[in-house]
Amino acid sequence: MIPAQAIGGVFDAIQQVKAGAPAYCTNFFPVQRKLQEWVEHGELQVETRGEAAFFLRQDRDFWHFYFCARDPAALRREIIALADLKTRRLAADLVGNEEALREVLGALASAGFRPYARLQRMVRAGAPIATQPLIGDAEVVFADKADAAAVLGLLEASFDRFADQLPLAREIEAAIAARQILAVEPAGKLAALLFFETQGFTSAVRYWAVAEEYRARRLGAVLMRRYLESHSAVRRFTLWVVADNQNAVEKYRHYGYEPDGLVDHVLVNDLISA
Amino acid sequence: MKPIAEILKEIRPEFDFTASNDFMADGMLDSFDMVTLVSTLDKTFGISIPGTDIVPENFQNIGAIEALLRKCGVQL
Repeated sequence: MIPAQAIGGVFDAIQQVKAGAPAYCTNFFPVQRKLQEWVEHGELQVETRGEAAFFLRQDRDFWHFYFCARDPAALRREIIALADLKTRRLAADLVGNEEALREVLGALASAGFRPYARLQRMVRAGAPIATQPLIGDAEVVFADKADAAAVLGLLEASFDRFADQLPLAREIEAAIAARQILAVEPAGKLAALLFFETQGFTSAVRYWAVAEEYRARRLGAVLMRRYLESHSAVRRFTLWVVADNQNAVEKYRHYGYEPDGLVDHVLVNDLISA
Repeated sequence: MKPIAEILKEIRPEFDFTASNDFMADGMLDSFDMVTLVSTLDKTFGISIPGTDIVPENFQNIGAIEALLRKCGVQL
């Protein structure tokens, strides 16, 4: 693997594999802005091998693993020669419909990746919120710059870094500046947050969390209600949730979210323990 | 040949793509939809859209997508 020096080189590596590919497969869907950020911070590495290209992105104490290949057979052939599989802690996300992912899952399994988590996407059509207002609602505010460390702390305590694509400190600061984090802060301490991203008619909940000591006070409900009410122009709400977290899935159903068939298989190599 | 609007509708049926001039700004396509769209366009028109062309401005609206397809040699 070598550090990616420019996004042009990354696109070239992809195109080299993609041109004329009969059954192109990938788990790498970079948005140009993100790609630029990763390259600038020296977080992205690349290796091209025959009919496939591999990318690693550093995140805390492990690397996100991405690939693109001419077809699943080429992926299976090329991946086993990657030295990094034996030396780095790797986590891969495979997003798609179950049926379409089968072959690629097999290719990664043949290289030693094992299932770690399975997320499902849930979608809600834009519609007025049906639940009743809460009596004595806690005050909801936008998180501010001084909350950045507390936001990061709550996210890291509430979610799994391998499965949940946790933001880095700089991404949290950017989200705060863009007013994308709603918070409840009784006595000035962050108790609960709802981190979202809205683009036009679509809005995604990225994280929704209540600190352990503030649970069972309906703070999460207050945040979700405020979020949905303040997005009345949005036509499509989305989120990802761990599929076997029935408690979370039921909460989202309560607010009108339903699975749309898209899943995310998170796989890890054997340097990451369960 | 399948119209672009129809392909887009299959990916995101809830939106009217003919009524928007900027699908990204309007939140009608996300990055995963973009990949699905590129893959569908590749298969439908027998082309391979280069990675360097997979940028938001080439998928901003139906006119931009048609211009991209022409650039890739598709006769519309």
